[in-house]
Amino acid sequence: MIDCLRNTVVLARRSLLAGAATLALATLAPAPQAMADDTTLTIGIEADLARLDPHISTTWNTFKALLHIYEGFVAEDLLATGVTTPPLVPSLAESWEISDDKTVYTFKLRQGVTFHDGEPWNAEAAKFNLDRMTNPDFEFHQPGAVGMLQWVWGDLESYEVIDEYTFRITLKQPNSEFLRRLSAGGSGTPRMISPAAVREFGNDGINANPVGTGPFKFGEREVGVQTVLVKNEAYWDPERSPKLERIVLRGIPEVTTRELGLLTGELDMISTPSPDSLEYLEAQGITLVKGPVSTIYPIWLNFREEPLQDVRVRRAMAMAIDREGMTKYLRRGTAQPAYGILNFGGPGWDPDYRDFPYDPEAAKALLAEAGYPDGFETRLDWTMGGGGDVNTRADAEWIQRDLGRIGIRATIETFDNGTYWDMLAQGIREGSCCMQVSWGETSFFWLDLILPTSALPPNGFNSGYYENPKMAELLAAARAAPTEEEMVSLLHQIRDIVTEDVAFIPVYTPLQVYAMRPNVKGFVLAPQHWADYTSVFKE
Amino acid sequence: MLSLALRRSFATVPVLLGVSFVVFAALHLAPGDAARTILGYGATEERVQALRAELGLDRPLLIQFGDWLWALLQGDLGRSISLGVPVSDIILDKIWASLLLMGASFALTAVFGLLFAALAGGAHRTVRDRLVTISMLVLASLPPFWLGIVLLFVFGLQLRLLPISGVGIMEESATILDIARHLVLPAVTTAASSLAVVARVTRSFFIDAMGEPYVLAARARGLSETRIVTVEAMRNVLPAFVTIAGLQIGYLFGSALFSEIVFNWPGIGLQLYQAILQRDFPVVQGCVLAIAVVFVIGNLIADLLAIALDPRRRG
Repeated sequence: MIDCLRNTVVLARRSLLAGAATLALATLAPAPQAMADDTTLTIGIEADLARLDPHISTTWNTFKALLHIYEGFVAEDLLATGVTTPPLVPSLAESWEISDDKTVYTFKLRQGVTFHDGEPWNAEAAKFNLDRMTNPDFEFHQPGAVGMLQWVWGDLESYEVIDEYTFRITLKQPNSEFLRRLSAGGSGTPRMISPAAVREFGNDGINANPVGTGPFKFGEREVGVQTVLVKNEAYWDPERSPKLERIVLRGIPEVTTRELGLLTGELDMISTPSPDSLEYLEAQGITLVKGPVSTIYPIWLNFREEPLQDVRVRRAMAMAIDREGMTKYLRRGTAQPAYGILNFGGPGWDPDYRDFPYDPEAAKALLAEAGYPDGFETRLDWTMGGGGDVNTRADAEWIQRDLGRIGIRATIETFDNGTYWDMLAQGIREGSCCMQVSWGETSFFWLDLILPTSALPPNGFNSGYYENPKMAELLAAARAAPTEEEMVSLLHQIRDIVTEDVAFIPVYTPLQVYAMRPNVKGFVLAPQHWADYTSVFKE
Repeated sequence: MLSLALRRSFATVPVLLGVSFVVFAALHLAPGDAARTILGYGATEERVQALRAELGLDRPLLIQFGDWLWALLQGDLGRSISLGVPVSDIILDKIWASLLLMGASFALTAVFGLLFAALAGGAHRTVRDRLVTISMLVLASLPPFWLGIVLLFVFGLQLRLLPISGVGIMEESATILDIARHLVLPAVTTAASSLAVVARVTRSFFIDAMGEPYVLAARARGLSETRIVTVEAMRNVLPAFVTIAGLQIGYLFGSALFSEIVFNWPGIGLQLYQAILQRDFPVVQGCVLAIAVVFVIGNLIADLLAIALDPRRRG
């Protein structure tokens, strides 16, 4: 009996050892390079993609994939170098004519283009998509598109098919940015889906079966893991025919994991490494590509807080914040100070414009003059940040310290990004002086959402209750401006008034950072939240 | 035994109902709203109200909860706001990765917890006992998000022994070995602190058992110390050990959330994290429900096992 037991124990020990040996062997086997072939690019991005229906798409990360699958009438040329705003180029429309009163756009559509499912691109397909985005009575209307594409179709009067390759859009009033808005991406984008695919898969089914005309086709998706795009062999533009066979987009929220994946070769490229890792990554032979993006981090100031009702207090706060120091020491060169509410890459941005000097002494004096020699107590409501934001909490701490130096004692409360945007939509709460999010686009529609009184909560993001009736007037005039010069001149007036009123404190423009393995070549960093991967190849 | 098992199983229903309701209520009381999220911030208030009515979001909370429950009974968890696909598809897709990670972590916790407890408790006040006790104290103090990154740095980057993230990409060609290689670090990270807790508590059971008269009797009969620990004392320690190990399932879920994020392990935890960031309420609700179900079932099994092992508790 005892022998029997002993044998069992010995056996158990042996199998344990065998198990351990197997585990050790498994461990020692050479790590397979996840994507060893040189025609597949694996990119680690900050979050998994959201829904793939372009008319109701939501995140900037998602558009990194969508821009390769779908196209619209016009596009931003993301391969152009040495520009602050990507130039507009024809895409599914070959050319267009604009009526003298700037309200009728007649698009000549590109011939011989087919969707990935073989369906032809023509004026009927354009009409199908316009119906889907704007016509509530249409069988395949996407209800979400109305709100999300308000900034594109807000001035739409009508649209019609002229002939197979001619399509006309009529606006209620001139819109100086109409073509720019047609090209833009991000949250809601007017790109063209195959009508046959919508009919086959249904409105919701497009999220799992996206079909466009772009240089890459949708390959497969594993939600929460990765999305694979495959080269479109039949792409119409030989100049943008992809050099890669496949792109794999993997959402990896944890930045350290993205960086380690890049270092071991599991990933070929990552976006937004941590500023603190840049030197280390570079020392390991990783290529870093940095450049500004059409984004600004402005601080919304709460006009309903008693001290902040005095413009001298708001100006003192602006003068207390050391923006240059922040970009240099905290952001370690991954940001540049922002001056004025017009963002880098947007219309009217002027590199030489300056708003408030950094002068804590003068700020203190100004605060005393306004009746607050000992400062006051307040609160900073802050976000943990979304996709491309890095360590925004540190910004709050920097600002807290700077405000403290002139006697303004601020506490910080931090919220997840979703909650934070809802709070912003409701207006800054009582007891808080400031909120900050990243915003800005290559068009100025976002100013319509933060400046006029029509955007006061809950109707928009004029969340600090800035009530200047001139804003609505000037914005409308800028939208209707017949020439670009006039539009820019009106935008400059808006910028100067916002600075004078100190309605916002612009803080910085982030530099977007991509890190890639040394064999990844041909990447062009566009001044946009996304890039064109058709030029990328691996050596 | 069967009737006991059935009674216990029925008792889990109110627990799951309670969890579901608390999560449902919390999500609906939080600022923000699904209609606004679906329509986008450019939509007029009028349109938002119309969609709220269409979705039934303007009705009393209890009625909304009833609807959700009724749909759930038909296997419908709603549709993800951010992804536009059915929640049940997402959960079914993710639950396997989570169960795999949980299973592996639980196995590590139970096996090594018991092993270290026997090593230490069977030799109370020896050097071996102290070494194990101190090691377990260190292990229990390592937060998973830190431990995970350190393990990645050492085994993934420096030694290049193990992969950095995921379950094994390229699903078609993934072998069991691939999956095992991906599983090692997340499972160790998830199990670390629970393993230490189980080892420390079970060690004290061993110490108690080793002082019992039947151990003295066994020694008098000339049985080896190994046999006394692994057979005589073990038999009395096991029921308490099973209960302690079962209790760890909840903690393991907490740790797994961190490991899934650090190792980009595509399980329920990572999905939950991303869903919270994107305010995708139906997915959050579905993920929490899935976690609650696994938690409750795990504890139920541990309970029944403990009772089966200990005749005194069969009442």
